[in-house]
Amino acid sequence: MSADAQAAALPGPAESGGVIHNIGYRRYDAQRLGRAQIVRALTWHSFRSAFGIGRGAKAKIFPVLLFGLMCLPAAVNAVKMATSPAGGPLITYDDYVPSLRTVAMLIFVAVAAPNLVSSDIRNHTLPLYFARPIHRIDYPAAKLAAFFLACLAMIEIPLLLLYIGNAAQVHGVHQVWLQTLQLGPGLLYGAAWAALLASIGLLLASTTGKRVFAICAVGIPLFFSWVLANALMHIGNQAFGPAAVGQPSALASLAGLISPFTLLGGVLHWLRAAPTPGAPLRALQATTIGPYGEVYGIVFVLALAAAIGLLIARYRRVGVA
Amino acid sequence: MTVSLTRPPTGQPWRPAPGAVIEAAALTLRYGFSVIALDQLTVAIQPGVTGLVGANGAGKSTLIKILLGLLEPTSGHAAVLGLDCVTSGLQIRTLTGYMPEHDCLPPDMSATELVTHLGRMSGLPATAARERAADSLRHVGLYEERYRLIGTYSTGMKQRVKLAQALVGDPRLLLLDEPTNGLDPAGRTAMLELIARIGTEFGISMMVASHLLGEIEQICDHLVAIDGGRLLRADTISSVTRASEVLLVEVDEGGELLLAELARRGLSPVAFERGLLVQLAGDETYDVIRDAVADLGLPLSRMERRRHRIEELFRTDPALAGETIGASSVS
Repeated sequence: MSADAQAAALPGPAESGGVIHNIGYRRYDAQRLGRAQIVRALTWHSFRSAFGIGRGAKAKIFPVLLFGLMCLPAAVNAVKMATSPAGGPLITYDDYVPSLRTVAMLIFVAVAAPNLVSSDIRNHTLPLYFARPIHRIDYPAAKLAAFFLACLAMIEIPLLLLYIGNAAQVHGVHQVWLQTLQLGPGLLYGAAWAALLASIGLLLASTTGKRVFAICAVGIPLFFSWVLANALMHIGNQAFGPAAVGQPSALASLAGLISPFTLLGGVLHWLRAAPTPGAPLRALQATTIGPYGEVYGIVFVLALAAAIGLLIARYRRVGVA
Repeated sequence: MTVSLTRPPTGQPWRPAPGAVIEAAALTLRYGFSVIALDQLTVAIQPGVTGLVGANGAGKSTLIKILLGLLEPTSGHAAVLGLDCVTSGLQIRTLTGYMPEHDCLPPDMSATELVTHLGRMSGLPATAARERAADSLRHVGLYEERYRLIGTYSTGMKQRVKLAQALVGDPRLLLLDEPTNGLDPAGRTAMLELIARIGTEFGISMMVASHLLGEIEQICDHLVAIDGGRLLRADTISSVTRASEVLLVEVDEGGELLLAELARRGLSPVAFERGLLVQLAGDETYDVIRDAVADLGLPLSRMERRRHRIEELFRTDPALAGETIGASSVS
């Protein structure tokens, strides 16, 4: 109350009589930005909030830690290439280190997605956005673009570091070109990761306004679907004979569709069209797909479309004020 | 308000009347089949400060959402600053600042950060957004506090931040939904003074929605009263208040005696709740009542100018209210 009374007593133009800091009301007549530029500003603002920039130091702990973790294999590889280049790189560009990528991205998506969407839900800030010159769809679109870019940075900056580490040690333009040819598919596959995880993560996070609940809403389904998919794959392989005998069983082949991480692994196997003989080395991280490669491709596209569609639909029915 | 109630024939686009900042023509919004939020609302609002009064649920917030182009009406037309609300929502939202009724501020941001960000969302370039955020926060009376987290603010300061974010985009029109919500009496007065100052000195037209007529009449030039989604009255504030200036007189005993005595002395008192309502003609009315009470020797417990309540505007049956509403609609 005292603050109100105080504020009310502050000099207004009527009573100022030459108060220097009273500048009166100034109009804004210069150029205004259009809808596309506003959406771009919102995207940039949201991208920063995914890494806790513009918030306290506490908010930066997890993103920085996870990013460092993601870069670690690239650094180790660079050291190895520098000391004993024989035998080539330790890590491939396409799946990098799948177990590390899965765990790091699971935590990153669970921690960062709520930063982008749930605080606006919790604080009822959405009416302030929708009362501005943007359309309904622009808000989820900007958030999605921002989180896609954030996930992309988490996944692909390590890939670029890996590439730099390798390219610095190989000899000849041809060798560097070969590295570049391998990097390309790796970047594309990384984008598939970022797109699927960003859309699913935001959709799950936007179901609740409470931050802790949102972290659980994202983390728990992602984690348990991954565990379940791996368990079923394992059971499938045990019960119906190992994959090495011939084709893996249907259970083992289709279990990977349950979790986004194994789905992405399956898509990679399908695109590589290789791993059938001898089954994958890292049985728990990689997905067995059997003859169902196309199914993985289709499910990936459908899952991505569904997550984006549901996210947009979720903001279509948000009330204003 | 000479807008025709019939919709124009198809093929001929509806044209808003020139000069009005807000216009509604037979505006209707139904939810499903039974719930009618707005019912054939036709009104034209001129520049200046306009109060939009109505009880809770009368359709005030619904009207604001339609004006912002966020809800599409079932039928009828609405225009803001000459722009059709259905087709020109983006343009309208560029030129209009909106202060929501409910709490809408993130506690973990400073006022400067938030208002700057929302300035950018209003289409200001980064530098201009920073400058205008500082300006609008100063205009609403937040100085050094603006660097503090909003979570540490009092309710009054939060209301000021809500007003500042509406102001940051340099709007031509402000739509304020219950701006004194949750404030104590001193806070209300301060907020009303601030709104009046923005209206008169900054020259920004505004529509202030409130369920408290007594509060809103202090700052408005015009008044629009709605009830159940229908237009009840649209008039200048002076004609509304002049017509409803009444005195409430209460005596501990002998109310009937006083009623008869006042009637004998030429007034036309009406029994109301535990007292009498007397039309206030001028200062001499006070003297007549005083003399009547003194002559009868009655214990006078209360004599006050009635704060106008919205219900008074809406009442049609009691003789007094009926008279005043009838009288003012002629003027």
